Amino acid sequence: MEAIGQSVYRKEGWDKVTGKAIYTDDIHLPGMLHAALAISPHAHARIKSVDVREAEQMPGVRAVVTGRPEPLVGEEIRDRPPIAYGKVRYNGEPVAVVVADTPGEARAAADRIRLDFEPLPVVHSPSEAIRPDAPLIHERLDQYVIGVMTFPEPHTNIANRTRIRKGDAQKAFLSCPVVVENEVSFAPSSHAAMETRCSIAQQAADGTVTIYTSSQAPFMVKKLLSSAFGIEIGKIVVHTPLVGGAYGGKGSVQWEILAYLATQAVGGRPVKLYYTREQDILTAPGHVGLDAKVKLGCTTDGILLAAEMTYLFDSGAYADKSPDLNRAGAVDCTGPYRIDNVSCDSLGVYTNHPYPAPFRGFAHSEVMFAFERAMDRLAAELRMDPLELRRRNAIAPGHTTPTQVLLNRSNVGNLAACIAKLEHWMDWKEGRLIRLSDRQVRAKGVACVWKTSTIDSNASSGVILLFNPDGSLNLVSGVVELGTGTKTVLAQIVAQRLKMDVSRVHVRMEVDTATTPEHWKTVASRGTFMAGRAALAAADDAIRQIKEIAACVLRCSPDDLEVEGERVFLRDDPLTGLPFKDVVYGYTYPNGNAIGGQIIGRGHYILRGMTYLDPATGAGRPGPEWTVVAQGVEVVYDLRDHTYTIAKAVSVIDIGRVLNPKAAVGQVMGAMSMGLAFAGRETLVFDGQGVVLNPQLRTYRPIRYGEHPDYIVDFVETPQIDAPYGARGVGEHGLLGMPAALSNALTLAAGVNLNRLPLVPEFIWRTKRGAAE
Amino acid sequence: MMPNDFAYDRPATAAEAVRLFGSFDAKGKSPMYYSGGTEVITFGRLGLVRTGAVIDIKGIPECRALGYVQDDLVLGAGLSLTEVEEANPFPLLSKTSGGVADRTARNKITLGGNVCGRIFYREAVLPFLLADSDVVLAGASGWRRLPIRQVFRGEMQLGQGELLLGFLTSRSYLSLPHVHLKRRQQWKTGYPLVTAAALRKDDRLRVAFSGVCPFPFRSAEMEEALNARGVAPAARIDEAVRRVPALVLNDVEGSAEYRLFVLRNALADIVDAIGGE
Repeated sequence: MEAIGQSVYRKEGWDKVTGKAIYTDDIHLPGMLHAALAISPHAHARIKSVDVREAEQMPGVRAVVTGRPEPLVGEEIRDRPPIAYGKVRYNGEPVAVVVADTPGEARAAADRIRLDFEPLPVVHSPSEAIRPDAPLIHERLDQYVIGVMTFPEPHTNIANRTRIRKGDAQKAFLSCPVVVENEVSFAPSSHAAMETRCSIAQQAADGTVTIYTSSQAPFMVKKLLSSAFGIEIGKIVVHTPLVGGAYGGKGSVQWEILAYLATQAVGGRPVKLYYTREQDILTAPGHVGLDAKVKLGCTTDGILLAAEMTYLFDSGAYADKSPDLNRAGAVDCTGPYRIDNVSCDSLGVYTNHPYPAPFRGFAHSEVMFAFERAMDRLAAELRMDPLELRRRNAIAPGHTTPTQVLLNRSNVGNLAACIAKLEHWMDWKEGRLIRLSDRQVRAKGVACVWKTSTIDSNASSGVILLFNPDGSLNLVSGVVELGTGTKTVLAQIVAQRLKMDVSRVHVRMEVDTATTPEHWKTVASRGTFMAGRAALAAADDAIRQIKEIAACVLRCSPDDLEVEGERVFLRDDPLTGLPFKDVVYGYTYPNGNAIGGQIIGRGHYILRGMTYLDPATGAGRPGPEWTVVAQGVEVVYDLRDHTYTIAKAVSVIDIGRVLNPKAAVGQVMGAMSMGLAFAGRETLVFDGQGVVLNPQLRTYRPIRYGEHPDYIVDFVETPQIDAPYGARGVGEHGLLGMPAALSNALTLAAGVNLNRLPLVPEFIWRTKRGAAE
Repeated sequence: MMPNDFAYDRPATAAEAVRLFGSFDAKGKSPMYYSGGTEVITFGRLGLVRTGAVIDIKGIPECRALGYVQDDLVLGAGLSLTEVEEANPFPLLSKTSGGVADRTARNKITLGGNVCGRIFYREAVLPFLLADSDVVLAGASGWRRLPIRQVFRGEMQLGQGELLLGFLTSRSYLSLPHVHLKRRQQWKTGYPLVTAAALRKDDRLRVAFSGVCPFPFRSAEMEEALNARGVAPAARIDEAVRRVPALVLNDVEGSAEYRLFVLRNALADIVDAIGGE
């Protein structure tokens, strides 16, 4: 009865394909009111006045809430008034919230709020923001409450700086015969999840605050509301039903706070706040932008000796998750290679852009784009096959990471094996650049990437298993089901341990923070690892209890018992035993006496041995393991038009162990398509005043059917010894190398270095023209 | 979500539609004729279209016409783009309208809606401009049949309350050698940087464009340059590009100078395919 390794259908699949699945906006509470936002049309401006008099007189309006100086919110730096106060710092920032009887009335009134602004100079990029004469976006950075591991630099726009110093890069460069430098940059973009953000808030007479939200972080909503508004944490209950795509964008807490302020203004009545697509792109936190510089030095044989990097992450108007993002980028700043001398400054820098949420890959696709572009330049300088250069430097057990973690056979995958498979799938021996006609070439690009998950060092996850009278069980976990199928995989893990059929493991999809054990946040490809460990512990706990009761009935030691197929029986005499249904709700003797009771298995897991990073050198243990990946992209490029199609995209991932083959392939393929869309088309377009010109799906276009390449997904299996059945994280990794591989392929095809995203034909044309002049 | 309530009517005749329009108009309802509704909905939710009454033209037989009257192909304004594509009486029109939006949207978007729409690409008009089609309009004083090139100047020049019933195109144009090209910012979805439709008639190229300027056009001056005798194709194309009749679009899809680069290559492909010689 193997559950692991089977392509089990998602438990929520039938509801989803029949349209019966319930998302936050499908919830209608009695007496519910509706909120609408008035948002800033400016990227940076002093608020001269917010005149709500006319709006308040509009039909159906119950309240209009405007900004206040306190409290400030924000995850790593408390720098953000939930509703703008004093000034606005990005186009789309909430300026007022209207609460009315219907969504239409709320919208109509929000449009009647008269806003008067005095525009301020706009900071358009992180490079611009760190100039000494740049306008300050946060004048009082020194007075904010900050988190551990966050190091803002007051009187500048630097929200956080992470330093990595391993070996002596400066000295090592002196002995490098070959040195290259490369700069890349790209602007913020959007997650563009199918479900836009939505939240409902209400407050009961006893003060209990109930929130429904489309979130990856219901437990963080609870903590942040409690700390910002002084609400007793036990009196906050957060419900999260199914989430319609998140990709990191729902790991931030924003819309819940606005819904909370709205319900406060109407005496605790339930208020729903639903973001339009435009607000979802403008107002909600998006995907981070980056300006980066990478310098690499190596021997004439291509052995890397030194790397020096500057990563300027576009933190936008507020810090929120950006210090974590720039730190995560620093931790894996080099890509998956052995380099003994590393120096990296990774900064989160305030600009007048929308601020960043996590984005699938958490700063890794961004940093890997910068690093892997530099690797290709180095290969070109060496006149070496770019895959061979990567093979020669591939990370392996015995090497150390940039933060000086010693790698072993469990905590890092087998990159060399991934590269070997990639070589096959890319038909590398055929050559990298193939002339198809006088107009067309076919070109191949590769990238190697890695990722560890730099989540809080004390993040934990819990699972409860509640048995039903028929011997089946219910699995309760704080993992949010956002389309990754993680809860189905958890059911497989439990079924495998209990040796029962996975169809008999029922999964509770909704999270309710009052009754669901906490899972820190459903982010960072940690669901299967952490909740999986908790699920194994809970299964073991249930097995122990089942054996204890059965041992009484069967008059044996629990050690003599085995569990399988919803039975507990003597190991050496399997016919002597009891069905689960006679045990899991207590055992009743023929005379009516009973023992035991409903079996409730419980388990939890906390990350082991994680440490803070040394502020001077970055040394420390930021995450439990490194998943390694080798990826490639093949394009067909038109030499006259500079247009191209992506013919093929390949990912080879050391996944540790494949738990659910189709689900794993689906995750990787989905991530790859997202990476190609980010690399090839998706970006916010800003005008000269920092206003977003494309906050609609008409003009902000994710990849569509008919535009996809052939996807090839393959796995290497090097078990992570302490993970459930050896599985490594895989939710994000398909994305990470796609931007770099695409730009490497196009650089080869076009014959010019392409260092910006998105890689639209106009950009290639412009770069070619610039190179020609 | 539509921000306001509105009246809905589905008249059975053009005369009734025009009468309803007049009476809603007199009541200050800002009425609109509609068939697919895609713009009413998408602009309505943004507050960019505000109407107190919509008049559905899909119940009017003339608006649903798809057939021949003598030597003319008749296409009603209320036909969806996919209906026209599937029947395929005018291959260049099928190809051009097939480039609009996506299949799901084209099941709703109608010929008349695309040509009269507020989104300025209006690509379905290009083949009619090339084929010297006529349009039939219904107004308070009856019907008018007019050459489309007289009525369409970047957008339809309709009188207040006037309704576009359909298009009449001479059979002789339907199967002429033709080219349709749609060049976008990237890949296969999105608005055009350049949509070009071209026909070869009596040994002359006819070309019409969308996406180059903020309105679709057919330019006699550009055609003259393209058909110049005894001039090398590259020089003809350069001259045609110089004769673009207005400022070239410069927006999130692409810069003006890049659009000209794309336009030049599109013209080269057209000349290559059906330019003759």
